[in-house]
Amino acid sequence: MRNVIAIAKKEMTVYLTTPWAWVVFTAVSFVSSGFFIALMERFKDIHDKVRLSQGGWDEVPADFQSLRNLTDGVVMPLFSTMLVVVLFIVPFLSARIFAEERRQKTFELLMTSPVTSTEIVLGKYLGSLAIVAATVGVTIVYPLVLTMFGSSFSATTSERTSTLEWPAVLLGFGALVLWGATVLAIGTFVSSLTESVIVAGLITFAICLLWMLIQALAPGAGEPVRGVLEYLSFEAQLRNPLRGVFDLKPLVFFLSVISAFLVLTHRSVESRRWV
Amino acid sequence: MAMIEVEGLTKKYRDRVAIDALSFTIDEGTIVGFLGPNGAGKSTTMKILTGFMPATEGKAKVAGFDVFEKPIEAKRQIGYLPETPPLYPELTVRGFLKFVAELKGVRGKDVKSEIERVAKGTGITSELDRLNSALSKGYRQRVGIAQALIGNPKLLILDEPTEGLDPRQRNEVLQLIKGLAGKHTVVLSTHILAEVKTICEKVLIIHRGKIVANDTMAAISGGKENGLEEKFISLTST
Repeated sequence: MRNVIAIAKKEMTVYLTTPWAWVVFTAVSFVSSGFFIALMERFKDIHDKVRLSQGGWDEVPADFQSLRNLTDGVVMPLFSTMLVVVLFIVPFLSARIFAEERRQKTFELLMTSPVTSTEIVLGKYLGSLAIVAATVGVTIVYPLVLTMFGSSFSATTSERTSTLEWPAVLLGFGALVLWGATVLAIGTFVSSLTESVIVAGLITFAICLLWMLIQALAPGAGEPVRGVLEYLSFEAQLRNPLRGVFDLKPLVFFLSVISAFLVLTHRSVESRRWV
Repeated sequence: MAMIEVEGLTKKYRDRVAIDALSFTIDEGTIVGFLGPNGAGKSTTMKILTGFMPATEGKAKVAGFDVFEKPIEAKRQIGYLPETPPLYPELTVRGFLKFVAELKGVRGKDVKSEIERVAKGTGITSELDRLNSALSKGYRQRVGIAQALIGNPKLLILDEPTEGLDPRQRNEVLQLIKGLAGKHTVVLSTHILAEVKTICEKVLIIHRGKIVANDTMAAISGGKENGLEEKFISLTST
Protein backbone atom coordinates (compact mmCIF):
# COMPACT_ATOMS: atom_id res chain seq x y z
CA MET A 1 0.00 0.00 0.00
CA ARG A 2 2.88 2.34 0.82
CA ASN A 3 4.30 1.86 -2.66
CA VAL A 4 0.90 2.54 -4.22
CA ILE A 5 0.70 5.84 -2.32
CA ALA A 6 4.28 6.77 -3.28
CA ILE A 7 3.59 6.15 -6.97
CA ALA A 8 0.22 7.94 -6.82
CA LYS A 9 1.86 10.96 -5.16
CA LYS A 10 4.58 11.06 -7.80
CA GLU A 11 1.96 10.87 -10.53
CA MET A 12 0.04 13.82 -9.09
CA THR A 13 3.24 15.86 -8.69
CA VAL A 14 4.12 15.26 -12.34
CA TYR A 15 0.66 16.41 -13.47
CA LEU A 16 0.72 19.50 -11.30
CA THR A 17 4.28 20.62 -12.09
CA THR A 18 3.70 20.43 -15.84
CA PRO A 19 1.08 22.34 -17.85
CA TRP A 20 -0.97 19.14 -18.41
CA ALA A 21 -3.37 19.41 -15.50
CA TRP A 22 -3.56 23.21 -15.54
CA VAL A 23 -4.44 23.38 -19.22
CA VAL A 24 -7.18 20.84 -18.61
CA PHE A 25 -8.52 22.63 -15.50
CA THR A 26 -8.66 25.89 -17.41
CA ALA A 27 -10.30 24.35 -20.46
CA VAL A 28 -12.92 22.56 -18.36
CA SER A 29 -13.72 25.70 -16.33
CA PHE A 30 -14.04 27.74 -19.50
CA VAL A 31 -16.20 25.28 -21.43
CA SER A 32 -18.43 24.33 -18.50
CA SER A 33 -19.09 27.95 -17.52
CA GLY A 34 -20.10 28.64 -21.13
CA PHE A 35 -22.60 25.78 -21.00
CA PHE A 36 -23.82 26.85 -17.58
CA ILE A 37 -24.55 30.38 -18.76
CA ALA A 38 -26.34 29.10 -21.88
CA LEU A 39 -28.46 26.72 -19.81
CA MET A 40 -29.32 29.49 -17.35
CA GLU A 41 -30.37 31.76 -20.22
CA ARG A 42 -32.68 29.09 -21.58
CA PHE A 43 -34.08 28.50 -18.10
CA LYS A 44 -34.72 32.21 -17.62
CA ASP A 45 -36.34 32.62 -21.05
CA ILE A 46 -38.82 29.86 -20.51
CA HIS A 47 -39.72 31.11 -17.03
CA ASP A 48 -40.24 34.63 -18.39
CA LYS A 49 -42.54 33.24 -21.08
CA VAL A 50 -44.51 31.21 -18.56
CA ARG A 51 -44.95 34.23 -16.34
CA LEU A 52 -46.32 36.36 -19.20
CA SER A 53 -48.58 33.69 -20.69
CA GLN A 54 -52.13 33.00 -19.60
CA GLY A 55 -52.00 29.28 -19.18
CA GLY A 56 -48.70 29.06 -17.28
CA TRP A 57 -46.88 25.72 -17.51
CA ASP A 58 -49.83 24.08 -19.28
CA GLU A 59 -48.92 25.91 -22.48
CA VAL A 60 -45.29 24.85 -22.41
CA PRO A 61 -44.44 21.96 -24.79
CA ALA A 62 -43.67 18.63 -23.16
CA ASP A 63 -39.99 18.87 -24.09
CA PHE A 64 -39.55 21.88 -21.87
CA GLN A 65 -41.43 20.60 -18.84
CA SER A 66 -38.15 19.60 -17.22
CA LEU A 67 -37.25 23.28 -17.04
CA ARG A 68 -39.66 23.80 -14.18
CA ASN A 69 -36.89 23.48 -11.61
CA LEU A 70 -33.15 24.18 -11.55
CA THR A 71 -32.08 20.60 -10.85
CA ASP A 72 -33.70 19.12 -13.96
CA GLY A 73 -33.57 22.29 -16.00
CA VAL A 74 -29.94 23.34 -15.51
CA VAL A 75 -27.74 21.05 -13.38
CA MET A 76 -28.58 17.69 -14.95
CA PRO A 77 -28.33 18.96 -18.56
CA LEU A 78 -24.99 20.51 -17.60
CA PHE A 79 -23.73 17.15 -16.30
CA SER A 80 -24.94 15.42 -19.48
CA THR A 81 -22.98 17.90 -21.57
CA MET A 82 -19.94 17.38 -19.36
CA LEU A 83 -19.97 13.69 -20.31
CA VAL A 84 -18.84 14.74 -23.77
CA VAL A 85 -16.25 17.13 -22.33
CA VAL A 86 -14.86 14.29 -20.22
CA LEU A 87 -14.56 12.21 -23.37
CA PHE A 88 -12.30 14.87 -24.84
CA ILE A 89 -10.12 15.72 -21.86
CA VAL A 90 -9.50 12.42 -20.09
CA PRO A 91 -7.65 10.78 -23.03
CA PHE A 92 -5.48 13.89 -23.00
CA LEU A 93 -4.64 13.26 -19.33
CA SER A 94 -4.30 9.49 -19.53
CA ALA A 95 -2.09 9.36 -22.62
CA ARG A 96 1.14 10.00 -20.77
CA ILE A 97 0.62 7.55 -17.88
CA PHE A 98 2.80 4.75 -19.27
CA ALA A 99 3.85 6.08 -22.69
CA GLU A 100 5.83 8.96 -21.21
CA GLU A 101 7.45 6.65 -18.68
CA ARG A 102 8.72 4.45 -21.49
CA ARG A 103 9.82 7.35 -23.64
CA GLN A 104 11.84 8.86 -20.77
CA LYS A 105 13.32 5.46 -19.89
CA THR A 106 12.05 5.84 -16.32
CA PHE A 107 10.01 2.68 -16.76
CA GLU A 108 13.19 0.73 -16.06
CA LEU A 109 13.45 2.41 -12.66
CA LEU A 110 9.92 1.34 -11.72
CA MET A 111 10.40 -2.20 -12.99
CA THR A 112 13.70 -2.72 -11.17
CA SER A 113 12.43 -1.25 -7.88
CA PRO A 114 11.13 -3.62 -5.23
CA VAL A 115 7.49 -3.02 -6.17
CA THR A 116 5.02 -5.31 -7.89
CA SER A 117 3.35 -4.59 -11.25
CA THR A 118 0.00 -4.43 -9.45
CA GLU A 119 1.31 -1.65 -7.22
CA ILE A 120 2.62 0.24 -10.24
CA VAL A 121 -0.71 0.00 -12.11
CA LEU A 122 -2.82 0.89 -9.05
CA GLY A 123 -0.56 3.76 -7.99
CA LYS A 124 -0.57 5.28 -11.43
CA TYR A 125 -4.30 4.84 -11.87
CA LEU A 126 -5.25 6.26 -8.48
CA GLY A 127 -2.89 9.24 -8.80
CA SER A 128 -4.36 10.09 -12.19
CA LEU A 129 -7.88 9.47 -10.91
CA ALA A 130 -7.35 12.18 -8.30
CA ILE A 131 -6.51 14.62 -11.11
CA VAL A 132 -9.50 13.51 -13.20
CA ALA A 133 -11.79 13.83 -10.16
CA ALA A 134 -10.43 17.32 -9.48
CA THR A 135 -11.02 18.28 -13.11
CA VAL A 136 -14.58 17.00 -13.11
CA GLY A 137 -14.94 18.47 -9.62
CA VAL A 138 -14.77 21.95 -11.12
CA THR A 139 -18.39 21.50 -12.23
CA ILE A 140 -19.70 21.14 -8.67
CA VAL A 141 -19.15 24.91 -8.39
CA TYR A 142 -22.30 25.57 -10.47
CA PRO A 143 -24.80 23.80 -8.21
CA LEU A 144 -23.10 25.53 -5.28
CA VAL A 145 -23.54 28.92 -6.94
CA LEU A 146 -27.21 28.15 -7.57
CA THR A 147 -27.73 27.16 -3.94
CA MET A 148 -26.05 30.31 -2.67
CA PHE A 149 -27.78 32.80 -4.95
CA GLY A 150 -30.86 31.04 -6.25
CA SER A 151 -34.23 30.68 -4.61
CA SER A 152 -37.26 28.63 -5.38
CA PHE A 153 -40.88 28.61 -4.33
CA SER A 154 -43.36 25.84 -4.21
CA ALA A 155 -45.90 26.16 -7.04
CA THR A 156 -48.83 25.20 -4.85
CA THR A 157 -48.15 26.89 -1.51
CA SER A 158 -45.75 29.64 -2.62
CA GLU A 159 -43.48 28.70 0.28
CA ARG A 160 -39.77 28.93 -0.12
CA THR A 161 -38.23 25.52 -0.90
CA SER A 162 -34.64 24.37 -1.31
CA THR A 163 -33.18 25.54 -4.61
CA LEU A 164 -31.78 22.18 -5.70
CA GLU A 165 -32.49 18.57 -5.02
CA TRP A 166 -29.05 17.79 -3.68
CA PRO A 167 -29.38 13.98 -3.58
CA ALA A 168 -30.13 14.04 -7.31
CA VAL A 169 -27.31 16.52 -7.99
CA LEU A 170 -24.78 14.40 -6.12
CA LEU A 171 -25.96 11.29 -7.93
CA GLY A 172 -25.46 13.00 -11.28
CA PHE A 173 -22.05 14.24 -10.20
CA GLY A 174 -21.10 10.75 -9.07
CA ALA A 175 -22.11 9.40 -12.48
CA LEU A 176 -19.89 11.98 -14.15
CA VAL A 177 -16.88 11.01 -12.00
CA LEU A 178 -17.57 7.33 -12.65
CA TRP A 179 -17.57 7.95 -16.40
CA GLY A 180 -14.28 9.88 -16.05
CA ALA A 181 -12.79 6.96 -14.09
CA THR A 182 -13.89 4.57 -16.85
CA VAL A 183 -12.33 6.57 -19.68
CA LEU A 184 -9.20 6.86 -17.54
CA ALA A 185 -8.98 3.08 -17.10
CA ILE A 186 -9.25 2.59 -20.86
CA GLY A 187 -6.65 5.32 -21.39
CA THR A 188 -4.28 3.75 -18.88
CA PHE A 189 -4.42 0.48 -20.75
CA VAL A 190 -3.89 2.07 -24.17
CA SER A 191 -0.99 4.10 -22.78
CA SER A 192 0.70 0.90 -21.62
CA LEU A 193 0.76 -0.35 -25.20
CA THR A 194 2.70 2.42 -26.89
CA GLU A 195 5.61 4.77 -26.45
CA SER A 196 3.86 7.61 -28.23
CA VAL A 197 1.74 9.93 -26.10
CA ILE A 198 -0.15 11.22 -29.15
CA VAL A 199 -1.01 7.74 -30.41
CA ALA A 200 -2.17 6.73 -26.91
CA GLY A 201 -4.42 9.80 -26.65
CA LEU A 202 -5.96 9.37 -30.09
CA ILE A 203 -6.65 5.66 -29.71
CA THR A 204 -8.28 6.18 -26.31
CA PHE A 205 -10.42 8.93 -27.77
CA ALA A 206 -11.38 6.74 -30.73
CA ILE A 207 -12.38 3.81 -28.49
CA CYS A 208 -14.49 5.99 -26.24
CA LEU A 209 -16.07 7.83 -29.17
CA LEU A 210 -17.08 4.53 -30.78
CA TRP A 211 -18.46 3.45 -27.46
CA MET A 212 -20.46 6.64 -27.32
CA LEU A 213 -21.86 6.04 -30.81
CA ILE A 214 -22.72 2.40 -30.16
CA GLN A 215 -26.24 3.27 -29.17
CA ALA A 216 -26.91 4.79 -32.57
CA LEU A 217 -26.56 1.30 -34.03
CA ALA A 218 -29.15 -0.18 -31.67
CA PRO A 219 -32.41 0.89 -33.38
CA GLY A 220 -31.35 -0.73 -36.66
CA ALA A 221 -30.36 -4.02 -35.07
CA GLY A 222 -32.66 -6.87 -34.22
CA GLU A 223 -32.83 -8.66 -30.88
CA PRO A 224 -30.72 -9.90 -29.13
CA VAL A 225 -27.99 -7.67 -30.65
CA ARG A 226 -30.06 -4.65 -29.86
CA GLY A 227 -30.31 -5.57 -26.19
CA VAL A 228 -26.56 -6.09 -25.97
CA LEU A 229 -25.85 -2.76 -27.65
CA GLU A 230 -28.26 -1.04 -25.32
CA TYR A 231 -26.59 -2.65 -22.34
CA LEU A 232 -23.09 -1.68 -23.49
CA SER A 233 -24.03 1.88 -24.30
CA PHE A 234 -22.76 4.09 -21.54
CA GLU A 235 -25.41 6.66 -22.33
CA ALA A 236 -28.12 4.14 -21.59
CA GLN A 237 -26.26 3.12 -18.43
CA LEU A 238 -25.97 6.70 -17.24
CA ARG A 239 -29.56 7.64 -18.07
CA ASN A 240 -30.93 6.77 -14.62
CA PRO A 241 -28.31 8.46 -12.43
CA LEU A 242 -28.50 11.55 -14.64
CA ARG A 243 -32.23 11.69 -14.01
CA GLY A 244 -31.57 11.50 -10.31
CA VAL A 245 -32.68 7.87 -10.05
CA PHE A 246 -30.39 5.66 -7.99
CA ASP A 247 -29.60 2.40 -9.71
CA LEU A 248 -27.01 -0.19 -8.80
CA LYS A 249 -26.71 -1.52 -12.36
CA PRO A 250 -24.59 1.29 -13.85
CA LEU A 251 -22.31 1.23 -10.80
CA VAL A 252 -21.66 -2.48 -11.28
CA PHE A 253 -21.31 -2.00 -15.03
CA PHE A 254 -18.70 0.77 -14.86
CA LEU A 255 -16.76 -0.79 -11.99
CA SER A 256 -16.54 -3.99 -14.04
CA VAL A 257 -15.25 -2.10 -17.07
CA ILE A 258 -12.67 -0.28 -14.91
CA SER A 259 -11.49 -3.53 -13.27
CA ALA A 260 -11.28 -5.29 -16.63
CA PHE A 261 -9.09 -2.57 -18.13
CA LEU A 262 -6.86 -2.40 -15.05
CA VAL A 263 -6.34 -6.17 -15.25
CA LEU A 264 -5.48 -5.78 -18.94
CA THR A 265 -3.02 -2.99 -18.06
CA HIS A 266 -1.39 -5.25 -15.50
CA ARG A 267 -1.02 -7.98 -18.12
CA SER A 268 0.42 -5.51 -20.58
CA VAL A 269 2.96 -4.16 -18.05
CA GLU A 270 3.99 -7.69 -17.12
CA SER A 271 4.35 -8.68 -20.76
CA ARG A 272 6.84 -5.85 -21.29
CA ARG A 273 9.26 -7.99 -19.36
CA TRP A 274 8.97 -10.73 -21.93
CA VAL A 275 9.99 -8.91 -25.07
CA MET B 1 30.38 -14.90 0.15
CA ALA B 2 29.10 -14.72 -3.41
CA MET B 3 27.00 -11.64 -4.15
CA ILE B 4 25.99 -12.78 -7.62
CA GLU B 5 25.64 -16.40 -8.68
CA VAL B 6 24.71 -17.06 -12.28
CA GLU B 7 24.27 -20.51 -13.71
CA GLY B 8 23.53 -21.41 -17.31
CA LEU B 9 21.82 -18.10 -17.97
CA THR B 10 20.44 -17.88 -21.51
CA LYS B 11 18.35 -15.23 -23.19
CA LYS B 12 16.89 -15.63 -26.64
CA TYR B 13 15.09 -12.92 -28.58
CA ARG B 14 13.04 -15.08 -30.92
CA ASP B 15 15.80 -17.00 -32.74
CA ARG B 16 18.66 -14.65 -31.84
CA VAL B 17 20.69 -15.72 -28.83
CA ALA B 18 21.70 -12.66 -26.78
CA ILE B 19 23.47 -14.52 -23.99
CA ASP B 20 24.33 -18.16 -24.14
CA ALA B 21 24.55 -20.26 -20.95
CA LEU B 22 26.49 -17.76 -18.85
CA SER B 23 27.87 -19.03 -15.55
CA PHE B 24 29.87 -16.92 -13.15
CA THR B 25 30.01 -15.73 -9.55
CA ILE B 26 30.98 -12.35 -8.17
CA ASP B 27 32.26 -12.06 -4.61
CA GLU B 28 31.01 -9.59 -2.07
CA GLY B 29 32.82 -6.27 -1.83
CA THR B 30 34.65 -6.37 -5.15
CA ILE B 31 34.50 -3.95 -8.07
CA VAL B 32 34.07 -5.94 -11.23
CA GLY B 33 34.52 -4.60 -14.73
CA PHE B 34 31.96 -6.14 -17.05
CA LEU B 35 33.44 -5.77 -20.52
CA GLY B 36 32.52 -6.64 -24.04
CA PRO B 37 32.08 -5.11 -27.48
CA ASN B 38 28.78 -3.38 -28.25
CA GLY B 39 26.01 -5.94 -28.57
CA ALA B 40 27.90 -8.63 -26.66
CA GLY B 41 25.06 -9.10 -24.17
CA LYS B 42 26.19 -6.86 -21.30
CA SER B 43 22.98 -4.88 -20.99
CA THR B 44 20.87 -8.02 -21.40
CA THR B 45 22.71 -9.70 -18.52
CA MET B 46 22.24 -6.64 -16.32
CA LYS B 47 18.57 -6.34 -17.17
CA ILE B 48 18.07 -9.96 -16.14
CA LEU B 49 19.99 -9.54 -12.88
CA THR B 50 17.97 -6.46 -11.96
CA GLY B 51 14.70 -8.23 -12.66
CA PHE B 52 13.75 -5.99 -15.57
CA MET B 53 13.29 -9.02 -17.78
CA PRO B 54 13.34 -12.77 -17.32
CA ALA B 55 15.84 -15.18 -18.79
CA THR B 56 14.88 -17.89 -21.24
CA GLU B 57 16.81 -20.47 -19.22
CA GLY B 58 19.13 -20.69 -16.25
CA LYS B 59 19.37 -19.39 -12.71
CA ALA B 60 20.53 -16.13 -11.18
CA LYS B 61 20.85 -15.24 -7.51
CA VAL B 62 21.61 -11.90 -5.90
CA ALA B 63 22.75 -12.00 -2.26
CA GLY B 64 21.26 -15.47 -2.06
CA PHE B 65 17.84 -14.49 -3.46
CA ASP B 66 16.72 -16.03 -6.71
CA VAL B 67 15.82 -13.15 -9.05
CA PHE B 68 12.98 -15.11 -10.66
CA GLU B 69 11.48 -16.74 -7.59
CA LYS B 70 11.98 -13.94 -5.08
CA PRO B 71 12.17 -10.86 -7.30
CA ILE B 72 11.15 -8.31 -4.65
CA GLU B 73 13.78 -9.47 -2.13
CA ALA B 74 16.44 -9.63 -4.84
CA LYS B 75 15.57 -6.13 -6.07
CA ARG B 76 15.92 -4.78 -2.54
CA GLN B 77 19.62 -5.74 -2.63
CA ILE B 78 20.31 -3.89 -5.87
CA GLY B 79 20.97 -0.30 -6.84
CA TYR B 80 20.79 -0.02 -10.61
CA LEU B 81 21.85 2.71 -12.98
CA PRO B 82 20.53 1.91 -16.46
CA GLU B 83 22.28 3.10 -19.60
CA THR B 84 20.12 6.25 -19.62
CA PRO B 85 19.70 7.71 -16.11
CA PRO B 86 16.00 7.23 -15.33
CA LEU B 87 15.18 10.77 -14.22
CA TYR B 88 11.73 12.33 -14.25
CA PRO B 89 12.32 15.75 -15.83
CA GLU B 90 9.33 17.25 -14.01
CA LEU B 91 10.67 16.49 -10.52
CA THR B 92 13.36 18.27 -8.56
CA VAL B 93 16.40 16.22 -7.63
CA ARG B 94 15.16 16.11 -4.04
CA GLY B 95 11.64 15.10 -5.07
CA PHE B 96 13.02 12.40 -7.32
CA LEU B 97 15.32 10.95 -4.66
CA LYS B 98 12.45 11.03 -2.17
CA PHE B 99 10.31 9.03 -4.60
CA VAL B 100 13.07 6.45 -5.08
CA ALA B 101 13.57 6.23 -1.30
CA GLU B 102 9.86 5.52 -0.83
CA LEU B 103 9.92 2.86 -3.54
CA LYS B 104 12.91 1.22 -1.92
CA GLY B 105 11.15 1.13 1.41
CA VAL B 106 13.35 3.61 3.29
CA ARG B 107 11.45 4.46 6.47
CA GLY B 108 9.65 7.82 6.50
CA LYS B 109 11.77 9.44 9.18
CA ASP B 110 15.02 8.33 7.54
CA VAL B 111 14.21 9.61 4.05
CA LYS B 112 15.60 13.09 4.60
CA SER B 113 18.91 11.96 6.06
CA GLU B 114 19.23 9.29 3.36
CA ILE B 115 18.81 11.89 0.61
CA GLU B 116 21.44 14.08 2.25
CA ARG B 117 23.80 11.15 2.60
CA VAL B 118 23.68 10.12 -1.07
CA ALA B 119 23.69 13.73 -2.25
CA LYS B 120 26.85 14.37 -0.26
CA GLY B 121 28.43 11.18 -1.52
CA THR B 122 27.78 12.07 -5.15
CA GLY B 123 28.42 15.80 -4.83
CA ILE B 124 24.93 16.97 -5.79
CA THR B 125 23.94 18.72 -2.54
CA SER B 126 23.95 22.12 -4.29
CA GLU B 127 21.63 20.80 -7.02
CA LEU B 128 18.97 19.23 -4.80
CA ASP B 129 16.35 21.88 -5.48
CA ARG B 130 16.86 22.11 -9.21
CA LEU B 131 14.62 20.38 -11.68
CA ASN B 132 16.05 17.22 -13.22
CA SER B 133 15.39 18.70 -16.66
CA ALA B 134 17.72 21.63 -15.87
CA LEU B 135 20.74 19.48 -15.01
CA SER B 136 23.87 19.11 -17.10
CA LYS B 137 24.76 15.66 -18.39
CA GLY B 138 27.40 15.17 -15.70
CA TYR B 139 24.94 15.99 -12.94
CA ARG B 140 22.27 13.80 -14.49
CA GLN B 141 24.70 10.90 -14.31
CA ARG B 142 25.49 11.72 -10.68
CA VAL B 143 21.81 11.88 -9.77
CA GLY B 144 21.49 8.51 -11.49
CA ILE B 145 24.22 7.10 -9.28
CA ALA B 146 22.70 8.81 -6.21
CA GLN B 147 19.35 7.06 -6.81
CA ALA B 148 21.18 3.73 -7.12
CA LEU B 149 22.85 4.36 -3.74
CA ILE B 150 19.60 5.07 -1.91
CA GLY B 151 18.76 2.51 0.72
CA ASN B 152 22.40 1.44 0.86
CA PRO B 153 22.02 -1.64 -1.37
CA LYS B 154 24.64 -4.36 -1.17
CA LEU B 155 25.05 -4.55 -4.92
CA LEU B 156 25.41 -1.71 -7.40
CA ILE B 157 24.95 -2.40 -11.09
CA LEU B 158 26.09 0.49 -13.23
CA ASP B 159 25.53 0.33 -16.97
CA GLU B 160 28.03 2.61 -18.74
CA PRO B 161 28.00 5.28 -16.03
CA THR B 162 30.55 7.50 -17.80
CA GLU B 163 28.95 7.44 -21.23
CA GLY B 164 28.79 10.90 -22.79
CA LEU B 165 30.72 12.68 -20.07
CA ASP B 166 33.66 15.01 -20.67
CA PRO B 167 37.09 13.85 -19.41
CA ARG B 168 36.87 15.75 -16.15
CA GLN B 169 33.36 14.55 -15.31
CA ARG B 170 34.42 11.05 -16.31
CA ASN B 171 37.29 11.15 -13.86
CA GLU B 172 35.05 12.46 -11.08
CA VAL B 173 32.47 9.73 -11.59
CA LEU B 174 35.19 7.07 -11.61
CA GLN B 175 36.65 8.37 -8.36
CA LEU B 176 33.19 8.33 -6.91
CA ILE B 177 32.72 4.67 -7.87
CA LYS B 178 36.16 3.80 -6.57
CA GLY B 179 35.19 5.30 -3.22
CA LEU B 180 32.36 2.78 -2.98
CA ALA B 181 34.73 -0.19 -2.87
CA GLY B 182 34.46 -2.33 0.23
CA LYS B 183 31.07 -0.93 1.21
CA HIS B 184 29.31 -2.23 -1.88
CA THR B 185 29.83 -4.83 -4.55
CA VAL B 186 29.98 -2.94 -7.83
CA VAL B 187 29.40 -4.32 -11.31
CA LEU B 188 30.52 -1.75 -13.84
CA SER B 189 29.65 -2.24 -17.46
CA THR B 190 31.65 -0.32 -20.01
CA HIS B 191 33.58 -0.64 -23.22
CA ILE B 192 36.20 1.87 -22.16
CA LEU B 193 39.13 -0.21 -20.98
CA ALA B 194 41.08 2.64 -19.40
CA GLU B 195 38.28 3.08 -16.87
CA VAL B 196 38.36 -0.54 -15.90
CA LYS B 197 42.11 -0.39 -15.39
CA THR B 198 41.70 2.54 -13.02
CA ILE B 199 39.15 1.10 -10.67
CA CYS B 200 38.35 -2.59 -11.14
CA GLU B 201 39.87 -5.49 -9.24
CA LYS B 202 38.27 -8.17 -11.33
CA VAL B 203 37.35 -8.37 -14.98
CA LEU B 204 34.64 -10.31 -16.75
CA ILE B 205 34.76 -10.24 -20.55
CA ILE B 206 31.75 -11.29 -22.56
CA HIS B 207 31.71 -11.78 -26.31
CA ARG B 208 28.79 -12.88 -28.49
CA GLY B 209 26.84 -13.91 -25.41
CA LYS B 210 29.57 -16.08 -23.92
CA ILE B 211 32.11 -15.46 -21.17
CA VAL B 212 35.60 -15.44 -22.61
CA ALA B 213 37.52 -14.26 -19.54
CA ASN B 214 36.83 -14.09 -15.82
CA ASP B 215 39.84 -13.28 -13.67
CA THR B 216 41.62 -10.67 -11.58
CA MET B 217 42.94 -7.58 -13.29
CA ALA B 218 46.52 -8.58 -12.62
CA ALA B 219 46.08 -12.03 -14.13
CA ILE B 220 44.38 -10.76 -17.28
CA SER B 221 46.77 -7.92 -18.02
CA GLY B 222 49.77 -10.08 -17.10
CA GLY B 223 51.29 -7.05 -15.43
CA LYS B 224 51.78 -5.30 -18.76
CA GLU B 225 50.77 -1.71 -19.43
CA ASN B 226 48.65 -2.64 -22.43
CA GLY B 227 47.87 -6.15 -21.24
CA LEU B 228 44.13 -5.64 -20.85
CA GLU B 229 43.77 -4.05 -24.31
CA GLU B 230 45.75 -6.82 -25.99
CA LYS B 231 43.81 -9.54 -24.22
CA PHE B 232 40.47 -7.86 -24.95
CA ILE B 233 41.24 -7.52 -28.65
CA SER B 234 42.54 -11.07 -28.99
CA LEU B 235 39.52 -12.51 -27.16
CA THR B 236 36.87 -10.52 -29.00
CA SER B 237 38.28 -10.43 -32.52
CA THR B 238 36.76 -13.72 -33.66
